[in-house]
Amino acid sequence: MEKQLSLPRLREEMTSGVLCAWLKEEGDPVEAGEPLYEIETDKVVNQIEATEAGILKKQLREEGDEIAPGAPVAILETA
Amino acid sequence: MLYVGSRTTDPYYNLAFEEYIFTSFRDEDVFLLWRNAPCMVVGSYQNICRETRVPALRRMGIPVLRRISGGGAVYHDLGNLNYSLITRQEGAADYERSLAPILEALRAAGVHARKNRTCDLAIGEKKISGSAQRAAGGRLLHHGTLLFDADLTALEEISVRGKNDCFQTKGTPSAICAVTNIRPHLARDMTMETFQRRLLDYMVPDLSNRLELPEAQCAEVRRLRDDKYRSWEWTWGKTPAFTYERSCVFAGKPAAISYRARKGIVADARIDSPVIDGPLAASLLNGARLDPDGFADICRKLAGERSEELLELLM
Repeated sequence: MEKQLSLPRLREEMTSGVLCAWLKEEGDPVEAGEPLYEIETDKVVNQIEATEAGILKKQLREEGDEIAPGAPVAILETA
Repeated sequence: MLYVGSRTTDPYYNLAFEEYIFTSFRDEDVFLLWRNAPCMVVGSYQNICRETRVPALRRMGIPVLRRISGGGAVYHDLGNLNYSLITRQEGAADYERSLAPILEALRAAGVHARKNRTCDLAIGEKKISGSAQRAAGGRLLHHGTLLFDADLTALEEISVRGKNDCFQTKGTPSAICAVTNIRPHLARDMTMETFQRRLLDYMVPDLSNRLELPEAQCAEVRRLRDDKYRSWEWTWGKTPAFTYERSCVFAGKPAAISYRARKGIVADARIDSPVIDGPLAASLLNGARLDPDGFADICRKLAGERSEELLELLM
């Protein structure tokens, strides 16, 4: 099943964050709790972890993109 | 709260030491105090070429390192004290919660500072401390600089204020702020050692909570230092993709320089100048790594005695 992963709201007043690194490539298997990507907002680098296992099917955004909380970031194929 | 001491002022070791403690101490709150020999430290997602004066730093023998937190470029020397506060991450990242104990500790040491902007500390209107964070795996690293009696003249010399804006790049920009040292604002003077001891006595009063890493863990820190912090891949290879374009004067004559860099590797390089061999410049630069010494070698081949002048225009 394909699941769309969205950027979580990391702070109350957060309006957007910058995707600064992908830690998994398309096609990589991902365990629950494993880091997927990093988002910088207000001088904080937040490592975002997968909440469930699967295969990273698609990276919807690229490094350097500014992303609003709730916006889709990736597609995860789950069992 | 635990304190873990570092005995060295080697910046590569100390950044590895901090990361090692952040990832391996999973339960306790940890406080660190550490100082670095002169160096520039850029944020995790910064373009080193835009945020620092690379040729000036190379001349002064000041290395550039990349850290794991966000934010902008900072200058460290032995007059600057760094602190790290590693805690469990509870809810959203929040600077207030991390800065409150630091402000208290400063007050206990006789320093009356206040929070300014998102995460700076200031005396009057001038910045004495900048901070940044990393949140990962349920843990929060908050760290900051404390300008105690740093060399502000050196800091001014390597500031990018007025650096030509020749970059089209993503990446976090640095804020350029008016700064001051803490020491001249003290009612009663103290040395760096006393300042450091007072902060530590406030943050970790119990001597039995002050540790040093055993040798086996120091060996792991050294491995991280060598594999990551001293590697070109981490420091320069992580520079966000950018395009550089500059119209300038070289050897008294108009010149134009342009190139792109992706993952730190140069492409589409072009130098138009009546005194430089354009095809040779393109062949030397294309495929080259963004690297101050490598660029200096290329400049020597292209410009001989004028290599420093060319390097200033190129990075």
